[in-house]
Amino acid sequence: MKSGVKKLIVSKEGILFCIFLFVFFLMSLLSPGRFLSWYNLQSMAYQLPEFGILALSMMIVIVTGGINLSLTYTATLSMIVGGMVMANISAAGGNGILAVLAGIVIMIGMASLCGVFNGFVVAYIGVTPMLATLGAMTLFEGISLNITKGGAISGFPFEFLMIGSGTVLGIPIPMILFILIIVGTWLFLERSKMGMSIYMIGCNPKVALYSGVRVKRIIFQTYLIASVLAAIAGVLMASRYNSAKESYGSSYLLQAVAASVLGGTNISGGEGKIAGTVIAVMILQVISSGLNIFGLNRYLTNVVMGGILIVVLTINFLTEKRSK
Amino acid sequence: MNIKSLKIKELPILLILLLLSLIITIANPTFLTVENFLDILKSNLVLAMMALGMLMVLLTGGIDVSVASIIAAVTVITGQSLIHFSSNIFVTILVACLSGTLMGLVNGLLIAKLKIPPIVATLGTMSVILGLVLYLTNGAWITGIPDSFIEFGRITLFSFELVDGRTIGFPVQVLFLIPVIFLTWFILKKTVIGRGIYAIGGNLESAERMGFKADRILIFVYSFEGFLIGLAAVVHTSIMRQVDPNAFLGFEMQVIAAVVLGGASVLGGFGSVLGTVIGVSLFCVINNGLILMHIPVFWQKIVVGLIIIGSISIDMIQKQRVEKNKIRVDVE
Repeated sequence: MKSGVKKLIVSKEGILFCIFLFVFFLMSLLSPGRFLSWYNLQSMAYQLPEFGILALSMMIVIVTGGINLSLTYTATLSMIVGGMVMANISAAGGNGILAVLAGIVIMIGMASLCGVFNGFVVAYIGVTPMLATLGAMTLFEGISLNITKGGAISGFPFEFLMIGSGTVLGIPIPMILFILIIVGTWLFLERSKMGMSIYMIGCNPKVALYSGVRVKRIIFQTYLIASVLAAIAGVLMASRYNSAKESYGSSYLLQAVAASVLGGTNISGGEGKIAGTVIAVMILQVISSGLNIFGLNRYLTNVVMGGILIVVLTINFLTEKRSK
Repeated sequence: MNIKSLKIKELPILLILLLLSLIITIANPTFLTVENFLDILKSNLVLAMMALGMLMVLLTGGIDVSVASIIAAVTVITGQSLIHFSSNIFVTILVACLSGTLMGLVNGLLIAKLKIPPIVATLGTMSVILGLVLYLTNGAWITGIPDSFIEFGRITLFSFELVDGRTIGFPVQVLFLIPVIFLTWFILKKTVIGRGIYAIGGNLESAERMGFKADRILIFVYSFEGFLIGLAAVVHTSIMRQVDPNAFLGFEMQVIAAVVLGGASVLGGFGSVLGTVIGVSLFCVINNGLILMHIPVFWQKIVVGLIIIGSISIDMIQKQRVEKNKIRVDVE
């Protein structure tokens, strides 16, 4: 038992969690009464899920050895198309709940189409993920712009706003969704046969193929699942902003990569834990909220975030070098 | 030999370029005028210079997403130095190249010495540099660039008079691009470092066993890229005559896309200066053509995205076909 605890603390996720606790207490001490205020904790609980879901979506793709640069534009394209349908039904005097359901179904359907597109180009045509999704990113952004003409889609029914701002038993709905998705992706990636195959593909696709893994099909499915996750993040964003626009969340793209890597995911694939990514997301959220409370210029917050990324990776490198 | 290699690698994309030019010319004959050609050239010099730096990075198997933030930083430094320090063109070039090279050097050290994967390292430097630039400038434009520098930017070479009496000529900034193209080509093809760059991109381990010092080469590549960005910043400032710290948001993706259109592989080891020049031209011609054909701005991204995915997909399908044929021969 004791050695089990020790192992847990020394593991990558354990160290990350200690960093999280440290940052959390540091912020609480430095801004007494404000960081730990109910208001701040709740606003973090509303902001965290959309970024966290996008990071998890990015992470499972990175584990296959790929990357998805079209991630945020998949989310926005689907929220724009679904949002338009929802706003139209609502404007025509349709039932609010029905409109919301139709909207969400269409958002997830649209994201699936994006995922099928990415998955097909990457898995079956064999284009390098970075390029395929770079093209897809431009493409999705273009389609979104064509629909919105640069504006935003709004006029969602009241029921839709509840998703992003409502609570169940005092817990924000986005947070509940996020927890469900964490458990879901954990079961999928770390406890299922397909998850096992994903790690194998990320380590060495050729060996995976010869071990009987259907490499192409699994990569295809991974992009599909990642896109559906992006759509869920899109639902949360659209609901929170009460509108849909192509540029929403675009700053999350590279942050999602950063969170995955900070969480111990190997950028070239085959390695990474859901817990690590989730803790990394929490660390980044606590730091950005904390710095915001201190009134630090938001551009300087970017500097700090970039600095942390580099410092953590440097420490990683040094510790690995020592253990060798 | 030279013609043969051209035939295999760069011919398809050259054909696409010519075909596209033909279509655009039929749709709008303005495309095929000297004036339009010079316009395209002038507005894409920066892209071309940065693409050549990015080509080297991609050849080593790396990637640099910090290029847009570096050029934003260097243009701001250049602008300030022009206003407060010296309006001398040579001093300006020196300041710009030095600051660009330094920022590239930081990337190089992080990647070569600390072994941080390129995309992550440059992601980090990107947010640090861009954050600092926007914090220090507050996003405000820098105006009041000295007249002597603006006059320099207006110089044209080989000027001649048009039928309607206006004079046009090559922008002086071309004098920056041509040596850069030649220098990049020379380094890649004629020096040991260049051979090392291709070797690292092909297979890092075997390159090191062959005696190439991978970390030195990587540091050189990222620093050289920074140097080129410095030159590009001078060109940009002299064309725009003011500095907008936000001018380059998202520009890194355009640079990468142009290099990739030119046939370079993001996995490293493949790509050439000629291919990159054609790729950049293709990128510019598409953008220019869409404007001349009066296609709404919103369609441009769709077309560019489709062309990126389409051209690489075709390339991959061809490669797979070649691979299949190879295997069949082996079996027989």
